[in-house]
Amino acid sequence: MNTLESTPQEPLDPRNETQPVGITVRKPWQRNVLTFLLVVGPGLIVMAADNDAGAVSTYTQAGAQYGTHLLWLLILLLPTCYFIQEMVARLGIATGQGHAAMIYQRFGKWWGVFSLVDLLVLNFLTLVTEFAGVSLAASQMGLSPLLVVPLAALALMALVTTGSYRRWERITITLCLLNLTWLVLAFTSHPNGGEVLHNLVVPNIPGGGLTSGLIFTVIAIVGTTIAPWQLFFQQSTVADKKLRFADLKFARLDTFLGACLTITVAGCMMLIGDAAFRHHIPFSADTFDPATMAVSLGHIFGPWFKTGILLLMVDAAILGATAISLSSAYAYGEVRGWSHGLQKSVKDAPGFYGTYIACVALAAALVLVPRAPLQLIIVSVQVLAGVMLPSAIVFLQLLLNDRELLGAQFANKPWNNVVNWIIITVLFVLSLVLALQVITPTLFPK
Amino acid sequence: MATTMIKSPTTIQQSLQVVHPLDDIAEEKRSPEGLGQMHMSPSVKLSLYALRGYLVLIGLMVAYRVLTLAGIFSHHLH
Repeated sequence: MNTLESTPQEPLDPRNETQPVGITVRKPWQRNVLTFLLVVGPGLIVMAADNDAGAVSTYTQAGAQYGTHLLWLLILLLPTCYFIQEMVARLGIATGQGHAAMIYQRFGKWWGVFSLVDLLVLNFLTLVTEFAGVSLAASQMGLSPLLVVPLAALALMALVTTGSYRRWERITITLCLLNLTWLVLAFTSHPNGGEVLHNLVVPNIPGGGLTSGLIFTVIAIVGTTIAPWQLFFQQSTVADKKLRFADLKFARLDTFLGACLTITVAGCMMLIGDAAFRHHIPFSADTFDPATMAVSLGHIFGPWFKTGILLLMVDAAILGATAISLSSAYAYGEVRGWSHGLQKSVKDAPGFYGTYIACVALAAALVLVPRAPLQLIIVSVQVLAGVMLPSAIVFLQLLLNDRELLGAQFANKPWNNVVNWIIITVLFVLSLVLALQVITPTLFPK
Repeated sequence: MATTMIKSPTTIQQSLQVVHPLDDIAEEKRSPEGLGQMHMSPSVKLSLYALRGYLVLIGLMVAYRVLTLAGIFSHHLH
């Protein structure tokens, strides 16, 4: 079927057991609301999982270092992450296949291997940062990481191995909605409303000018908000959920609402960092971690505030870990031609689940190694994500212009291409600046 | 298909049925099978190779910098 509109089918005969069982409604608006509720998931989850442990660290650090001065950047990132993720949702609905499979089939094995290796390496390092986040939060709650990290890993394995996509999605959406608690915490930290509004809409550079620290923070925010794993994850989940052509408008709404959620929550994390900034909590870029900041803020706003941040850190890490591990498992499974998908049992898709479990177990084990260079891994992830992102989006852009495959209905329109090339150019320039900074650390003033 | 109309033969009342995507009849997707690899102009191929070279180079530099920070190459700094 090639049309976006629903094509009339034969009237359903309730006695025919081979026809799909649905919910009957009477009004078109009821149908639209219900269909949206059934379709919502991949877009919301990918965006909420984007605010993972690394993101909590990046956004709160940006707030603790620069106050609310970088809030405007988030407003610019809202349409950016929507445009990019809408493309993968469209590609997933049109082809019913994951991103890695598409790269392999349309660009060949050589490019496919490169894309897959990039993804798997970066994903694994990012996964380590998720467990590092769990470990930090557990330590500050007085719990042993030796107990909490393995428990988190086991919970992550149990979450996906039920053989039900719907069960995984419902639990994960619940974890996503817990993100709304960041709004409560941000509100109770009493931000300066006028200053927040001003810095949201007026782009400005914090006092001190264009320093290497500011450039790194800006690039880290961009690299945190749009990451390569998101492309692979959303397309694979859209395909796994078997979204139909007629679902595209709802998938777009799902992605847009997810983008709004992730940017709002990111802003709240920055406001909580800003609370540390306003209360003159000592800040050091080299030693900053959000769990320690939570303890300091707990002395000001109360112990519940500290516990709230620490629990939300764990929530962010769990969400990020399940999405990132799944993006690796989907991509590897698609390329190897293995049976894959959350609807399948472990027995039916051993390679898919084995990849997921191996990623989670290895990353959790690495975090528990005494004196593991976690801070270096966290820094490497931010740098590598920033450098690799433009390349991943170039492949996406080429795939979305594949009219031979997608036809005019699903391929990018000229305005899509203009917007996307602007995004790619900006990301590439940022990546180049980052590369220059890595090569010559004294390029910009400290 | 998200919705299907059910028309009762005796009344003009209509019902709309909403089906979960996982329960619905699979639709035929746009498949790359048989299409082969995507046609890329020489300039696009060259750009992709340049991008790959850039990524490999930067990846190696990042790895060197990280290993230096980790103290692996500390004797070179002295």
